[in-house]
Amino acid sequence: MPSRRHFGLLLSPWGVTFSVFWLFPLLFALYLSFTHYSPLAPDLAWQGAQNYVKLSVDSDFWQAVRNTLLFVIGTVPLTTALALALALLLNRRFLGRGFFRAAFFFPSITALVVVALVWSSLYARAGMFTRVLETVGLGGPANGFLFNPATALPAIMLMDVWAALGYYMLLFLAALQALPREYFESAQLLSASRWQTFRFVIWPALKPMTLLVLLLNTIKSFQVFVEVYVMTKGGPMGATSTMVFFVYDEGLVKFDMGYASAAAYALFVVIALVALIQARYFGYGREVAL
Amino acid sequence: MKRALLYVVLSLALATMLFPLWYMVAGALSSNPTAPPEPGDLYLRAPRWANFAEAWSVPGFPRAVFNSILVAVIVTLGNLLFGLVTGYALARGKSRWSRVWAATVLAVLIMPAHVLIIPLFIELQAFGWIDSYAALIVPFLVNPIAVFIMRQYISGLPAELEDAARTDGAGEWFILFRIVAPLCKPAMAVVAIQVFLVNWNTFLFPFIFTTRPEMRTLPVALAFFQGFQQINWPHLLAASTLATLPILIVFLFFQRQIISGLTAGALKG
Repeated sequence: MPSRRHFGLLLSPWGVTFSVFWLFPLLFALYLSFTHYSPLAPDLAWQGAQNYVKLSVDSDFWQAVRNTLLFVIGTVPLTTALALALALLLNRRFLGRGFFRAAFFFPSITALVVVALVWSSLYARAGMFTRVLETVGLGGPANGFLFNPATALPAIMLMDVWAALGYYMLLFLAALQALPREYFESAQLLSASRWQTFRFVIWPALKPMTLLVLLLNTIKSFQVFVEVYVMTKGGPMGATSTMVFFVYDEGLVKFDMGYASAAAYALFVVIALVALIQARYFGYGREVAL
Repeated sequence: MKRALLYVVLSLALATMLFPLWYMVAGALSSNPTAPPEPGDLYLRAPRWANFAEAWSVPGFPRAVFNSILVAVIVTLGNLLFGLVTGYALARGKSRWSRVWAATVLAVLIMPAHVLIIPLFIELQAFGWIDSYAALIVPFLVNPIAVFIMRQYISGLPAELEDAARTDGAGEWFILFRIVAPLCKPAMAVVAIQVFLVNWNTFLFPFIFTTRPEMRTLPVALAFFQGFQQINWPHLLAASTLATLPILIVFLFFQRQIISGLTAGALKG
């Protein structure tokens, strides 16, 4: 066995990274959340739970919470269902399967900033979506989808479903391909219909992966920011402001860093609970298929 | 018949998934700078290739490309080294401490990073690192996903080889870099591809850590591309296409590694 000192040396880069860029800032943010701190007037003033009290009555914060919840509820189930459907289709053997799989997951490795810019132009006034709607006798919002409070958030949500779909499809596909062949053979032996095979064989076997996909996507969706920053800056009138956007806006635009940290921590506690469920049920032991 | 239906459904899905990407490329060739691309542009009626050259010469764009390449290359190389070293220590260490450290990797991997925005900004400002390459590189040199992939892979390798070398008097560094590392090539390929992709695309922290235009990476520069004047849509889409090109190239050659890297992040399913 290598010596303990040797292990200590090997682990030191991670030890430093973890402590300096994760653990310390995490604790520092907790401390900040009980202070008033602004780089413009850098006097740290301890003020107890005041930030949290202020949050509880801040209508901008609650609007961001509401938008974030709408975003999670509106995208996560839809993305999961579509990803599962695509994975089931691609799990059969047919000519060109590799090509379809590649084409379906390419959007999920495209930079989110690029995706957001492309869709901004699709959603713009006189943009492609409005024009297509016009040809069928409908029309889009006068200033484009992103400048209308009623359509801005759904527009971003639709884009996110498109952008995230391929990744979760891959996860489902990996789970499907790990299923033992006997499952399908015995279903065939009992002359089960396609639906019965899915309902009684595939679906129960996929349950752990479905739960994992829901958790991963929930954790990610609670943190939606890039799309909002690039496409709407939280507008119009806060209609697309999300919790992380609120943190950014309060902390790095208005420089109210203590308050922003309180908002960040409120969100952190919510997501950490979801993440702990994930860690508890899914552990840390999956073999990486290479 | 059923097969035909399958292809119809798949082709519809394909068209939906590829449309925005085709729109990006076709729109980049649009000859009307003042309006978003229109249906006619999708058929490339009058492709205007000069848009690419013009997008390239937008102030700050080449510098952003340079920054992105520099940062992505160094971070990828760093993760190859530190991923191997850390993954090896976590895979072979049997003490309670190595299990604690393994748990910290998992924690960083799944816990939300947004809570770090404000404290990291303050911390890096105190280091004097805002608007420096150090801020874009150092915090990302040991990516938990790289550690995770390497740990998993090395756990699956037989330890007998290392023990045999040890009995023969080989030093620990020799064992790690001359015996274990060559066996890890497939995993290191996955790490390199995954870290490069994530780093090339990442927006949040490079955005928070830079204020000067010269220090922006490509995604951050793109977000500011619209600038102060009216949006030039073809230029914006041309710049987006150029930023996606390296991803496409990596994708065409290393699809298998990308899939391994992406599914590795999903932990145990």
